[in-house]
Amino acid sequence: MTHRSRALGTATSLGLVATLLSACGGSDKPVLNWYVNPDGVEVFEKYAEECSTGDYDIVLQQLPTSATDQRIQLARRLAAEDSSTDLMNLDPVFVAEFANAGWLAEIPEEKASEITDGGDYLAGPVETVTWDDGVFAIPMWANTQVLWYRRSLAEKAGLDMSQPVTWDQVIQAAADNNGSVGVQANKYEAYVVWINALVLGAGGAIITNNEEGRDADVGLDSDAGRKAAEVVQALADSDAAQSDLSVSNEGTSLGRMFPDPKGDQGAGEFMTNWTFVYKNYADLIGKPGGPADDKAFEDLGWARYPQTVEGETSQPPVGGIDIGVGAYSEHPEHAMAAAECITSQKAQVDLALDAGLMPSTNSAYDEVAQSGDYPEDLIELFRTSVDEGGPRPESAYYATISGAVQERWHSPASVDPDSTPEESADYLEDVLQGEALL
Amino acid sequence: MKKLGMPIGVALILIWCLLPVVWVISLSFKAPDSITVGNPGFWPADGTWAGWENYRQVWDNDQFKRAILNSLGISLIATGLSVMVATLAAYAIARLEFKGKRMVLSMALAIAMFPVVSLVGPLFDMWRAFGIYDTWIGLIIPYMSFTLPLAIWTLSAFFREIPWEMEQAAQVDGATSWQAFRKVIVPLAAPGVFTAAILTFFFAWNDFVFGISLTSTEAARPIPASLAFFTGPDPFTRPASLLAAAAVIATIPIIVIVLIFQRKIVAGLTSGAVKG
Amino acid sequence: MTTVTAPRADATNRGGGKVASDRARAENRLGQRLVAPAIVLMLIVTAFPMLRALWLSVFNYSLAAPDDREVVWAQNYLTALSDPLFWKTTVITVAYMVVTVAIELVIGFVFAMVMHRLVFARGIVRTSILIPYGIITVVSGFTWQFAFSSTNGFVNGWIPGIDDTFNWFGDTTPAVIAICISEIWKTTPFMSLLLLAGLAQVSEDMIEAAKVDGATWWQRLWKVVLPNMRAAIMVAVLFRALDAYRIFDNIFVMTNGAEDTASISFLTYRQTIEQLQLGMGSALSVLLFLSVLLIAWLIIKLFRVDLAQARQEG
Repeated sequence: MTHRSRALGTATSLGLVATLLSACGGSDKPVLNWYVNPDGVEVFEKYAEECSTGDYDIVLQQLPTSATDQRIQLARRLAAEDSSTDLMNLDPVFVAEFANAGWLAEIPEEKASEITDGGDYLAGPVETVTWDDGVFAIPMWANTQVLWYRRSLAEKAGLDMSQPVTWDQVIQAAADNNGSVGVQANKYEAYVVWINALVLGAGGAIITNNEEGRDADVGLDSDAGRKAAEVVQALADSDAAQSDLSVSNEGTSLGRMFPDPKGDQGAGEFMTNWTFVYKNYADLIGKPGGPADDKAFEDLGWARYPQTVEGETSQPPVGGIDIGVGAYSEHPEHAMAAAECITSQKAQVDLALDAGLMPSTNSAYDEVAQSGDYPEDLIELFRTSVDEGGPRPESAYYATISGAVQERWHSPASVDPDSTPEESADYLEDVLQGEALL
Repeated sequence: MKKLGMPIGVALILIWCLLPVVWVISLSFKAPDSITVGNPGFWPADGTWAGWENYRQVWDNDQFKRAILNSLGISLIATGLSVMVATLAAYAIARLEFKGKRMVLSMALAIAMFPVVSLVGPLFDMWRAFGIYDTWIGLIIPYMSFTLPLAIWTLSAFFREIPWEMEQAAQVDGATSWQAFRKVIVPLAAPGVFTAAILTFFFAWNDFVFGISLTSTEAARPIPASLAFFTGPDPFTRPASLLAAAAVIATIPIIVIVLIFQRKIVAGLTSGAVKG
Repeated sequence: MTTVTAPRADATNRGGGKVASDRARAENRLGQRLVAPAIVLMLIVTAFPMLRALWLSVFNYSLAAPDDREVVWAQNYLTALSDPLFWKTTVITVAYMVVTVAIELVIGFVFAMVMHRLVFARGIVRTSILIPYGIITVVSGFTWQFAFSSTNGFVNGWIPGIDDTFNWFGDTTPAVIAICISEIWKTTPFMSLLLLAGLAQVSEDMIEAAKVDGATWWQRLWKVVLPNMRAAIMVAVLFRALDAYRIFDNIFVMTNGAEDTASISFLTYRQTIEQLQLGMGSALSVLLFLSVLLIAWLIIKLFRVDLAQARQEG
């Protein structure tokens, strides 16, 4: 990790120097600003350099960590019709809102049809970049969640992980065997990721008729919504819940997988988390927070995202990053060319191998599989999860929807299947109509 | 009781004020890896001492370095300008009789109490129209406006203490009015101006609401906002110990100023009522 | 040790009164010119945006959909005032204000007494009390958030009877306590310095006289010291109360508004900056502004705060 950050330091200082130089007006060569989220920055640095041409230079600008903050920073710049926002890393859920507001340049026909009809892009990411019959961003990498677990823990619980498992089984298995279940349930975006996956897994949807905007139909007050609430409640009430459940994020439960054997922190965990987990533990072998040795590392298992309802196929969360081009960019053509370059297959493969961020196309996946850096079955699991995953609602009002769901479903301990789905549905409708505050 | 009261009182004040500072320093020496696993306790647990590693990493973080530069630049410029404007106003309030004097003081007071958050929406909208959104100027202007009340208030209290007759006395002794001002008044007024500047600087250094609302990149983002958005090398784990190191670095200027000028600051805050 | 401010040279007595009305006029003009830049600056950033907020508040206006902007007149205000969330945040904001100011007043007074009578270690005490005053509120928020953290903090280990894994940010009450502690820690020094200024104005002779009359320490405190520094206490309360009512930084950093800890400032921020709802956000801004005015008026009327007296203007 330290090595990575040092590289990051040097790289960003190069970027800074470049900014300063260009700010001094040393040359007339246009500069494209590329707003990136902090995940995988050193690969972005590399491609900012590689994709710079004789016509333009690409310079990185780093966004905050949380998706909500990233959205705020970008949205305010774009609302100010900022001409220096050329390229941006977009969380998939931003695309609909930004496209609807006219902040994103539409992807030209040729590339657009390659994305939608070419067959190489996985279904999950493609869904996230289309809005209103247009394509408004290029998928760069696609994220998904799988169930990470300790093989020894599952074995002890007698859970057959070769078959799909349900949330109830996982919670029960962990609780009975001194293990825990790691999720993301702080009041932030990833909590909605969890709730959305639970609702989709029960055959429902948070909203339908998304294109109606404010008048979309809210689907939380349904059997699927109640089933989702039951899972949240079951975990919150269970001994398997981690003590920091209500403030848990992607990082807080990492340490519970391979707890210090001297302490009494349990026998490991089941954790739904993004793809970066594999590389994370692989880099931590023999270090605190990681497996003690290679053998312990082999105890790390993975399986498809748990089912909400037994027998009903789960719909793993889909995340990742799409590249958008700012509508007010002074150099739209350069920016579009740069966007294609930084989302190239080579860049996607590098992101996967260097940063653990999985590709959005089949061909890049094939190349990653061949590299041997990841176990083959894990790669296949990622690929099917992204391909069959369920994205969060695509809506111009997604930020409102997410905020309203967080407001009523947080904290997990307060979730009640009898009231939360109904109340949150009413609230969400009111908020969308502008009749309630968020 | 009286004999014991003082030492206990002093100990209480010291513990109250310094314990959290010691804690955040201690936290900044916990190894980041151990934070992920959980490393409770006031001091770093055995084998989790990180040495200067966290500080080195924070210092290598260019976003943070840029934020320090922004904060120093913006705060110093705002302080300088604010104190200049406030000196004029405070001089008038302390020495001259004019219509609307009470109004100026009430207005300063009203602005000191203004709910800052209620301004950021319209200010954002105005600043993007003027094109000064996410620039130094965009922050310097509100910082000046909001530090003016404090500066005017402190300075006018100081200026009223100055024996202005000395200026006339010097003129009678043959000094030109400029000489009288420079040789007599400036030395007398300087400590007050300086104190006002320190208090103003503290305010600007502390601001968070404008810092997060009127910026969106490292072009102008000041330290408090940068801390709130701080990212360590691993975006998925909250870098508590790195953040602590960054927080300590952000506090160093404050501690230095406080160490050197504590007497003046106390005098300023108590409007000169308490002598050192 | 401590002295009351020396009597100041009264500015109005210079130059021989009514003799020169020309001179008075010139002085009037000069005075107004000198304060003009300050007035303009203060108005640019307050009055003008406030008027603009008033204007924007009659629209349904989302930055993400600027073309759908429409006039809704008072609808935003009605929605806000009839919304349970608005009242919930208002109640919690008042709670923050009352709790923090009350506790700060007590601790701040104790600190002021100590500093007032201090003969040794003055430099050290003064320096350490200024550190929380000068520290960035965001830093204070992080410091306490980590202190209360069950995984990396120390508070759970230090307080007997609390489980090591207790999650302070898992419920409203403990989260509010944590936020209040950070707020109190950071702002008590300011309170105690204002009170110290007040203490310095209490005449030593009066205290001595009371002592001679046989008043106990407690009686002297309640009958002599406190009544004589009433103005200073009220000003300190007024300043801190209005400051506490605007609480934002600590909430943003420590809970981000989770567990019903959001204050009215936080709600306003979320509407305008996060949700980009300039219309509703502006309506909330106006309501926030009005509520601050109301509180200021209430404190000034109820406690008959005399700002001029506190500034020793007689």
